[in-house]
Amino acid sequence: MAVLSVSDVGISFGGLRAVDGISFGVEPREIFAIIGPNGAGKTTLFNVISRIYEPSTGSIVFDGRDITRIPPHDVVRAGIARTFQNINLFDNATVLDNLMLGRYRHHRSGVLRQTLFTPFVRREKLADRRKVEEVIDFLELGKYRDVLVAGLPYGVRKIVELGRALAAEPRLILLDEPSSGLNVEETRDMVFWIQDMRDDLDMTVIMIEHDMSLVSAVSDRVLAMSSGRMLALGTPGEVQRDPGVAAAYLGG
Amino acid sequence: MKFYKKTSYTEDFRLFRDGAAAFWYALLGLALVAAPFVLPAYYLSQLVLIGIYVVAGAGLMLLSGYCGQVSLGHAAFFAVGAFTVAVLEKHGVPFLAAFAAAGALSAAVGFVIGLPALRLSGLYLAIATLAASFIVTEVIVRWEGVTNGASGLNVAKIRIAGWIADSEPKLYAIVLAVAVAAMLAVRNIVRAPLGLAMMAIRDSETAAQSMGVPLMRVKLAAFAISALLTGLAGALYAHKLQFIDPDQFTILVSIEFLVMIFIGGIGSMHGIVLGAAFVIALPQLVAVAKDYLPAAVAQQSGLQAAVYAAVLLAFILAEPTGLYGIWRKIKHYFSMFPFYRKGSLRRAKSFAKSETW
Ligand SMILES: Nc1ncnc2c1ncn2[C@@H]1O[C@H](COP(=O)(O)OP(=O)(O)O)[C@@H](O)[C@H]1O
Ligand SMILES: [Mg+2]
Repeated sequence: MAVLSVSDVGISFGGLRAVDGISFGVEPREIFAIIGPNGAGKTTLFNVISRIYEPSTGSIVFDGRDITRIPPHDVVRAGIARTFQNINLFDNATVLDNLMLGRYRHHRSGVLRQTLFTPFVRREKLADRRKVEEVIDFLELGKYRDVLVAGLPYGVRKIVELGRALAAEPRLILLDEPSSGLNVEETRDMVFWIQDMRDDLDMTVIMIEHDMSLVSAVSDRVLAMSSGRMLALGTPGEVQRDPGVAAAYLGG
Repeated sequence: MKFYKKTSYTEDFRLFRDGAAAFWYALLGLALVAAPFVLPAYYLSQLVLIGIYVVAGAGLMLLSGYCGQVSLGHAAFFAVGAFTVAVLEKHGVPFLAAFAAAGALSAAVGFVIGLPALRLSGLYLAIATLAASFIVTEVIVRWEGVTNGASGLNVAKIRIAGWIADSEPKLYAIVLAVAVAAMLAVRNIVRAPLGLAMMAIRDSETAAQSMGVPLMRVKLAAFAISALLTGLAGALYAHKLQFIDPDQFTILVSIEFLVMIFIGGIGSMHGIVLGAAFVIALPQLVAVAKDYLPAAVAQQSGLQAAVYAAVLLAFILAEPTGLYGIWRKIKHYFSMFPFYRKGSLRRAKSFAKSETW
């Protein structure tokens, strides 16, 4: 039973069909990669799943629940967290506060209790902090804990953003080009983390990725897109051998 | 990595950073309590005004400094608070009830003005809040039957049960209590998830939303709380002046509030107090300076506004972290002496350079 089912999803910008009739299902604890040349519509597909864009056709079902029309801030409550292609962090806050915001969906206290900072709020905050420390340990971010995000190198910012998504404890995580801009060593760490997310944290992972060696190393299945449409769907080997995929990358 | 582990997780959201900070605040508290016994009447009166501005500034800082929603309309909330308390007391409502009503009505007006804010940001939001505040003052002027229109209203002394605040020290006690409560409330919100959500909205709405922050609800909460505090400040202001008319709540007041939090230091609690002290002290400084200026300059009516503009400009260009940033630099300089390096506080400097202005 697929944890996420995308059926016939499409969206246009003006005359441009950015995503056109995409359908696929992702199994629980699967690592699912989406590849395709620039402008293929991969990020747009993520934006539709996370409700930033309104799809013109199709539906998205997560965990048996139709999420095609839920408010965008409820997506993470449903259990889906994401990262952005062009890192989207809270620049004027510390690494710790960025991760703490990842816990936002777990809060229950109202405005009055927070204004009084009651023991309940304090307990919630402490529970968050414990969870965030687990993420900090997992991603080895300890030495950046109290540093403002704005001043951090690109690779670290990328990891902080991953940490913020993990802090939400999602069941499904969407990673938009997790290895882009990372050096060899950082990319290798990323591979381990992605595998650990599945093996240790029981998460399902969908990632948009250009690095084919990374894709082959970690993903169970691959969806290839071009010009908003599906080119191929299968194991990394099958998709790489697909003649249509090769043509798309050669600028066909 | 273990070296970096904090000794306690509560450290990051304590009311005061550490024991030393708590000590200095306790000392400050003592000084404030002692003030009416040692300060000459004139200075105590100035301190009352600073306290009132701290309450308003706490409101605006939450909205603009932390949530990133610039308002050029806070004079309207100030006016709503002042007129509500004056009108209700005129009809025999006791101070505490009238004071609460002033806060509630201002919050309601803030909520309504916040509605267009959901779709606007930056300059457009500033102009929308400005327009809304014109409407509010217009209502106050036209609704003569209740507000007495442009002729203004006399405001009685604060009376709580049998006790009457008939002297400056008594008014000071009330203002001090409200100012401390306002600062505590804002500090609590800032260290609670709601404050974090506001800062997230300031830095990136898209990311905040994707992490579960309901943009509409948090922005409206920021507007309502901000207006509530500024309304309470207005109610105190009415009692301080003992006479109010709509002319006291023009756009200049809104600008003064913005200057206050900007010069104090955007996104800092200390900035609220420093900014309030600055805004209240500036006219006195200008008055003193007038004696030393050539008559042609000193006689200009816009002198004070010009000084505001110049000071604001200087801060934007040279010290975007405001007075609080300067204070931190001085502290840092002495704590590092003689090893101070220029640029070692760069981290702090990047703070105010968000896209919220
Ligand atoms: N908000 C938008 N408005 C107009 N066009 C857009 C918008 N978002 C994406 N597009 C267009 O949709 C197409 C797919 O973009 P995108 O999903 O970012 O591609 P990819 O992530 O696969 O490189 C591109 O042609 C892009 O210009
Ligand atoms: Mg993309």
